[in-house]
Amino acid sequence: MPPKVAVKPLPKRGGLLAGVSDNLAALMIGIKYFLNPKRFSIYYPKEYPELRKGYRGFIILNKQKCISCAACARICPSAAMKMIRVPVPHPKEPEKTVMKQFPVINYQRCIFCGYCVDICPTEALYHVNYHDIVYENLAEMFWDLDTFQKEPEYPTAEEGIPVRLMIHEEYGLLKVPAREKQG
Amino acid sequence: MSVLDTVASLIFYPPIWQLLILGFGGALVVAMVAVWFERKAAARVQRRIGPYWASPRLGGLMHLMADMLRYAFQQVVIPRTVDFWPFIAAPIFGMALSILPFAVTPLTSNPNFWPLPPALMEYSLLVALAITTLPPIFIIVSGWAANNPFTIIGGVREAFIILSYELIAILSLFAPAVAVGSLNIVDIVQAQGLVKWFIVLNPLAFLAAILAVAMSTSAFPFEIPESEPEVVAGPFTEYSGILYALNMGGAYMRRFVFGLLISLMFLGGWYPIVPGEGFILGYALPSLVVVVKAVVVVLAISFLRAIYGRYRLDQALDMAWRLVLPLTLAGILLALVEAYLGIF
Amino acid sequence: MVEDVRIYGGWKDELGLKVVPSKKIGKDLYEVFIGPQHPGSGHMRITVRLDGDIIVEADPDIGYVHRTMEKLGEIRGWIKPIPLFERMAIHDACNITMPYVLAVEKLMGVEPPLRAKYLRSLLCEINRIGAHLYGFAIFGVFLGHSTMYMWAMGDREVFIELAEALTGARLTHSYPLPGGARRDIPADFPDMARRAVNYMRKRLKEYEKIFLNNPVIRSRLEGVGVISKGLAAELGIVGPNARASGIGYDVRIVEPYDAYPELDFEVPVFREGDALARTMVRVEEIKQSLRIIEQAVEWLEKNPREPIVDKYLYGKYPPLHKKIMESEGRAKLLPISAAMKVPKGRAIGRAETGRGETIYYVESDGGVNPYRVRIVTASARNAIAFKYVLPGHKIMDLPAIYGSLDYFPPESDR
Repeated sequence: MPPKVAVKPLPKRGGLLAGVSDNLAALMIGIKYFLNPKRFSIYYPKEYPELRKGYRGFIILNKQKCISCAACARICPSAAMKMIRVPVPHPKEPEKTVMKQFPVINYQRCIFCGYCVDICPTEALYHVNYHDIVYENLAEMFWDLDTFQKEPEYPTAEEGIPVRLMIHEEYGLLKVPAREKQG
Repeated sequence: MSVLDTVASLIFYPPIWQLLILGFGGALVVAMVAVWFERKAAARVQRRIGPYWASPRLGGLMHLMADMLRYAFQQVVIPRTVDFWPFIAAPIFGMALSILPFAVTPLTSNPNFWPLPPALMEYSLLVALAITTLPPIFIIVSGWAANNPFTIIGGVREAFIILSYELIAILSLFAPAVAVGSLNIVDIVQAQGLVKWFIVLNPLAFLAAILAVAMSTSAFPFEIPESEPEVVAGPFTEYSGILYALNMGGAYMRRFVFGLLISLMFLGGWYPIVPGEGFILGYALPSLVVVVKAVVVVLAISFLRAIYGRYRLDQALDMAWRLVLPLTLAGILLALVEAYLGIF
Repeated sequence: MVEDVRIYGGWKDELGLKVVPSKKIGKDLYEVFIGPQHPGSGHMRITVRLDGDIIVEADPDIGYVHRTMEKLGEIRGWIKPIPLFERMAIHDACNITMPYVLAVEKLMGVEPPLRAKYLRSLLCEINRIGAHLYGFAIFGVFLGHSTMYMWAMGDREVFIELAEALTGARLTHSYPLPGGARRDIPADFPDMARRAVNYMRKRLKEYEKIFLNNPVIRSRLEGVGVISKGLAAELGIVGPNARASGIGYDVRIVEPYDAYPELDFEVPVFREGDALARTMVRVEEIKQSLRIIEQAVEWLEKNPREPIVDKYLYGKYPPLHKKIMESEGRAKLLPISAAMKVPKGRAIGRAETGRGETIYYVESDGGVNPYRVRIVTASARNAIAFKYVLPGHKIMDLPAIYGSLDYFPPESDR
């Protein structure tokens, strides 16, 4: 059925009775939520949300799969990714080295759009499911090739309890522990 | 008589005790609790947590302490364009006059602990209400002295609101006095006794009083003079630091004073405790009951912020003259009928 | 002191030079600058001239968050502008990039598969609800109703959570691609979406009680800021604001795109044109969006999964990409898309964003970059309403009108 325009009348309210009942309804709903707030706030550093598997968090390089095609650096909308040349052992003659290109990333610029992950022809890049990491200075946000291959430390996970937000019909979002308690 | 005795007698001299220790100190604590409750209650209705991290076990009560400290030590910026002396003096006088009604409000029926000599207590209600009308003048002065479009609009709005709602507040608080036939707060409370509270006998005046207090002291949803989206903070736009805190605290103090008066006039004062002899029975317990009732009134007003939005200025004035003033007059009429029937 | 140097028709600055205001102010008018640094202005300035409490003249002064979107769109290829254009209306990300993608699709002559169309429409509606809830939140805080602010922001989180499950990002989804969409729905998505829809329907009833039927709020909205049908047409108001004035104009009907022609929904129209009507239009639109989400999810669940990029692109996929599409539902890009060329031509893309019709004019000279991207957003077209609606109202009506117009400066300034 195709969509259509529907002209609707504005619901009118007036009169003393409606005035009293509307005031009471507003007060009642306030008191209802005062008694049972149904809140889903996360006490952040104490608890932290464990995000879904498909979340576009930090991007990590799997160097073995990289074929140096530079597609990731070219698609990057914010020019966060650059290719650098590093010497690697020659595939046939181990004593020689050859120059090969690998991507490095500048997390000051990255906007986590995930285009680089999607364009990589060999799936050498992948997302981890977190992005809340604090750096003490801007220089640390330039990742060199070694850093880019390791999943970054996630200090929040060491301090906090992982929780997960479930969509719930009554509560909207419901905070549940993400994992069973250890022991 | 040693020095210590002199000092002790000076501190416990009722006007000083009630004004400085109970009035200022107690009202500061009450203001803190009221602000905290306002934020916590609103947070519950709004499905948030509210203040928490400053002291998780106290539910974030220390947030308010931190706020106060911040205000106390913040730099006071005084713009070049303001009228210096009125700008400085207005919040100070406003605050001082806001807490002055404590000095004439009796919190017990034991004459030893009245703040004024018994002869003067005859007109305690009149004096208390007269003083409560003074602080708004200084809000208007501060708005005018700050010399800024927003402060002047805010000051004018304050004048409008005060003109209509202060009248209602005073008239509705007079209704019990009309019924009892006395301007002595102690007499009125004694007349109410254990059951004949005016909240039951005269709910019209009580409702009008609550509305008028919320409006005239700019409780949150009704803070038309300080309405943020148009006039940044109304008369207080140019204030910072301790002067801003005085301005804001003044409003809470006034609300607490009105809360005290409402609890005495309508909620039976120190009843169910009958004041006896001695400090504990004669003063501490009854005044505690009165203060608790006043705090409940203040908190009930605070709770409304989570439910209602802000009226427009003309709508608020319209409501005052068309709805709340007739309500008040009906309340006074009811009080006259009650006096005629001789309930007291 | 400043008072001393004040002279007629201006004042002297510190060097003794005469400063004359660019516009003469009437003798008894009071000029108030609301914004750009003001709690109730957003990133704009409204110069208001008051006669007592009545607004005589209002000048919206926009452009404080201009970010050269059009120029930046010309220098970064064909796919890379998508994350950029999202920044115009970040809570309406899929909607605001949709017309660009449609225009580029027209230029390239590709047609996304039906499944991708449904996916895009699904995210568009999730975004529309998010945008409307965001508007409610700001509206609530403008009227001093902090509960509405928090509730709307909290409930928006449900839909952000949905969008995150679908796209992998909370707000900047970068979801549509020319000729497809980027991800298929995860397995548990239909259930989540249905729960969210049921939840939101319940919440709308509670919104009615605390906000829409609240006598204080109603008295602030009824009969305030009336835009008549004629005025709305003259000024070129679009979106919910036009529909509140009785103009049944919606791009989803006028020029259907994506899956909209196959979905069953209504476009609510009110005749009154006041702030209340504008608010009610948004409430009704949320209800319709919930219906669309239900239908789209049902369709996506019922029909077998298929590639969500167009046939030509899918034909060039290597086996690994096909495997990923099947197993994860993730559409890979081909390296060629980083520097793809689009045939010479011009195209116009239109879409109904949360705040109204957004138009992109895209011109290609056959190169790797667009030759010109012209963007006309809904807020840019609604901004003029301030000038004509505000005069005659009281100064306290300004936030009510601002909030009900749901004007969003970053979207307008581009």
